[in-house]
Amino acid sequence: MSDKTIKLLIIGESGVGKSSLIRRFVENKFDDNHDVTIGMDFKSKVVNIDGIEYKLALWDTAGAERFRSLTPSFYRKALGAVLVYDITNRESLTKLEAWLAELENYSDNPNIATIVVGNKIDQDRVVSREEGLKFARKHRALFLEATAKEDQYVANVFKEIVEKIVTSDDYNMAQAGNTIDVNADGVAAESNCKC
Amino acid sequence: MEEMMETVVPQEDFDRNEQRYLRELELDGHASVEAKFGYAYCLVRCAHKQDIAKGIELLEDLAEHHPEGRRDYLYYLALGEARMKNYSVALNYCKGFLEIEDNPQVRSLQEYIQKRYDKDLKKGMAVAGGAVLVLGGILGLGMALAKNKNRRDK
Ligand SMILES: Nc1nc2c(ncn2[C@@H]2O[C@H](COP(=O)(O)OP(=O)(O)OP(=O)(O)O)[C@@H](O)[C@H]2O)c(=O)[nH]1
Ligand SMILES: [Mg+2]
Repeated sequence: MSDKTIKLLIIGESGVGKSSLIRRFVENKFDDNHDVTIGMDFKSKVVNIDGIEYKLALWDTAGAERFRSLTPSFYRKALGAVLVYDITNRESLTKLEAWLAELENYSDNPNIATIVVGNKIDQDRVVSREEGLKFARKHRALFLEATAKEDQYVANVFKEIVEKIVTSDDYNMAQAGNTIDVNADGVAAESNCKC
Repeated sequence: MEEMMETVVPQEDFDRNEQRYLRELELDGHASVEAKFGYAYCLVRCAHKQDIAKGIELLEDLAEHHPEGRRDYLYYLALGEARMKNYSVALNYCKGFLEIEDNPQVRSLQEYIQKRYDKDLKKGMAVAGGAVLVLGGILGLGMALAKNKNRRDK
């Protein structure tokens, strides 16, 4: 089971709907309140892709400034990242640039799969679909627009990124157990805290 | 939830936050709220009890002196106490938080801690020694939070 675990990070500015997308996907619930995430939160869900079950470990990060860069090593061992912006807020897309830089800086996986998600398409848009797509292309990321509130394309977001991961050469080599095993140095490596 | 509780802070992150805290202490005689918080945030997710306890101490101090960040401190106080297996104390922090703000993240932490607590009770394990003593402090904190809320509501 554990070797079929896929660690995904959900990142982006505060308020874009990261927790809402996860809540919709995992619990099929939605909340109009903005429950500002504290540090990070964790949820998991088993998905079935082509008859194989994968356990998605979803790390929901806080967009709030004070948690920024506190523990960047947490980006390690992630196989994919979901980069979320809000289509009613242009700044949330521009700022993804900085989140991506941070990801590239700290991730130990040079081929980490990424998907850019424009959320809140139930609302009047400020950012056009083309702008989002252009940003995603520039960074060689997948792209989708969705709404957690109205439950459109939310499952697609996770399905597409997982498919990209499990069909990649890196993943399949690691699974075969010969070369770079992105999962190998799990908890053991982290628990050498000198404290 | 298991993952949130069991994941130990990576050494590198711990070192960086500790150094920042110590440097500020040395240069200014005191550390900034953010340096203190960064250090405490790492400490409560260490493997050893002494470190977690040190983190808890810092967070208690922050909760008292920096009310703006209180929800963050309460959450990590609950997490730290739970990692120390002081489940009843941890549950009190969750309760204190939820009285001010209903929050699904804290509710799921609370449920998880409650489960661990019930399991321990069933096993007949002794409940944390300092619990009664600490409770007084928490009630005080709860009251301070309530006051804070009233002020906000006005
Ligand atoms: N109309 C609309 N509102 C949404 C949608 N998704 C989220 N929201 C709202 O946007 C606000 C922020 O959502 P969250 O999911 O808490 O945002 P977040 O990105 O997790 O924010 P942080 O935890 O602070 O980083 C909440 O009030 C949600 O109800 C959506 O698809 N449409
Ligand atoms: Mg959130």
